[in-house]
Amino acid sequence: MNTVRATYFIYVRDLKGWLGQPSLVVSSLLPSVFMFLFFGTPLRGMTSMPGFPADDYAAYITGMLIVMAVVMNGADVAFSLLTDMLSGYFDKLLLAPVNRFSMLMGTLLRSGTRTLMQVLVIFALTLALGVNFEGGWLGIVAILALTAVFGTAFACIGLIIALLSRNVQLTQSSQLMFMPLAFLTTGFMPKEFLTGWFKWAVTLNPVDYVLVSIRTIIVYGWEWDSILPGLWVLAATTVTLLIAATWTYNRATA
Amino acid sequence: MPSEYMIEVRDLVKVYPSGHRAVAGIDFDIPREGFFGFLGPNGAGKTTTMKILGTLLRKTSGTVTVAGYDVDADPQAIRRSIGFAMQEVGLDDLAKGRDFLQLQGVLYGLSRREARRKADELLELVGLVHVAGQRVGTYSGGMRRRLDLAGALMHDPDILFLDEPTVGLDPQSRIAMWEHLENLNAKGVTILLTTQVMEEADRLCHTIAIIDHGQIVARGSPEALKAEVGGDIVQIALHDIDDAPDEALNERAEELVGLQGYVESIDRAEDGIAITVKNGSAAVPDLVGLLHDNRIPVASLSVARPTLDDVFLKYTGRAIRAEEAAGDGVGKMMRRF
Repeated sequence: MNTVRATYFIYVRDLKGWLGQPSLVVSSLLPSVFMFLFFGTPLRGMTSMPGFPADDYAAYITGMLIVMAVVMNGADVAFSLLTDMLSGYFDKLLLAPVNRFSMLMGTLLRSGTRTLMQVLVIFALTLALGVNFEGGWLGIVAILALTAVFGTAFACIGLIIALLSRNVQLTQSSQLMFMPLAFLTTGFMPKEFLTGWFKWAVTLNPVDYVLVSIRTIIVYGWEWDSILPGLWVLAATTVTLLIAATWTYNRATA
Repeated sequence: MPSEYMIEVRDLVKVYPSGHRAVAGIDFDIPREGFFGFLGPNGAGKTTTMKILGTLLRKTSGTVTVAGYDVDADPQAIRRSIGFAMQEVGLDDLAKGRDFLQLQGVLYGLSRREARRKADELLELVGLVHVAGQRVGTYSGGMRRRLDLAGALMHDPDILFLDEPTVGLDPQSRIAMWEHLENLNAKGVTILLTTQVMEEADRLCHTIAIIDHGQIVARGSPEALKAEVGGDIVQIALHDIDDAPDEALNERAEELVGLQGYVESIDRAEDGIAITVKNGSAAVPDLVGLLHDNRIPVASLSVARPTLDDVFLKYTGRAIRAEEAAGDGVGKMMRRF
């Protein structure tokens, strides 16, 4: 069967399952709203600190909200795949004469859709609160595209964890692994304000480079010197993780 | 020219990475339109074998041909030819019954219109029309099994794999499922079934293979297997209906019956004698006539035929139920890794 057609049907099935549970949809969108309310307003005074690189703190942390949504997406993919594996439905899909790649892509696309919806909610919220997007509408489109790729990379991590562990508890605890990746960044304050091991961890964390790219587009507009490193890191990470996920997937479904 | 066999298996071996030898060199063939049953306890190798045949699991060695295609060379062609209803019913709880079937259909290459038509036809067949718009998660065990069977039939497969299709069903649903399967087989579908239920294998299968510790220990038609265990046992209570058993009568009857050529052996039963013969039903009129002619009263008479339980016991030295209770389940845990 045509790979694209199969991908589409598997994607629609995944999406229907998710949208059919309104509580899941709402609960996946709430963290971004809470984050914005909890951190955006109280920490606003940070911008008055000497050397803080932005005038509007809400604009500064919008990038962090997007990164959080993407990073937690990894756990979402792991859970949805694991549910299918434990129920036996995964075997049912494997029995169908469709390309394995369509099954993988169907799941990743659904997860990408979820992340995009979250990011759209974040944009709506920040725009409503008067955040000025220096990158303009083109910037928003570019961030959506970046998010889609970034989301795919994290979905690959979730997929690998689910396939290797096949265990709900282990997959659940893997969320703890995702959190440091989001928090060991310049999400709340710039690198100049950080010290010691934290600063080193941020330098080593690939997520921070992507965050810087996203934030630059929002706060400063098209400053390519700050945007490009994140794009390279993202490309390299995504390709590596896609290869690793495909390999794990093929091995698990051989 | 196509082979007369839909499934051909030679020296099939599956060793899991843990070293567990789930299938230890088995051979069997299933003819077109055959109904073949694997009978054995948990962990015997039934499900592992079926998953290898269904392309869900890789074999360690041996050759397997399904619908004329080699399992390693052309797994996609095999997937198009088979329907697979599983032991762990693999359904999408969040999907509605009709949507589940339609997705099965389109994944097997049906157009959306065809898939919708076929789904409606099968929902009717398995009696689920009234719940077709409800989520699968709300279905009872019997309904899930029937939906799973319908899903396996969406693409009109030539071969149907059924892994313990009636586990967990109430007696009524079990019989309804058997009737479905008999009808499908009568329409030309070749069926391979695994079961731990003797009655199921006995009623449905043309050929049974008893599998234990990864090896086929006996195979044949249910009748032939039972015949190998021994003849039928005709048990006769010899006394007037109101009287106590009479030892003298028993002795006389034993003497008379012992002279008949078809009698294999005679033993004492609780209130009479137990006669082992090749064909119990055929011997009954003659035995009754003989005893009546010699004025020996018959209070009651019963014919007991050997069951597949006896067959399993003979070949494995254990009762299947005892083994099931101790089931190791290694095969299930080891699935693909």
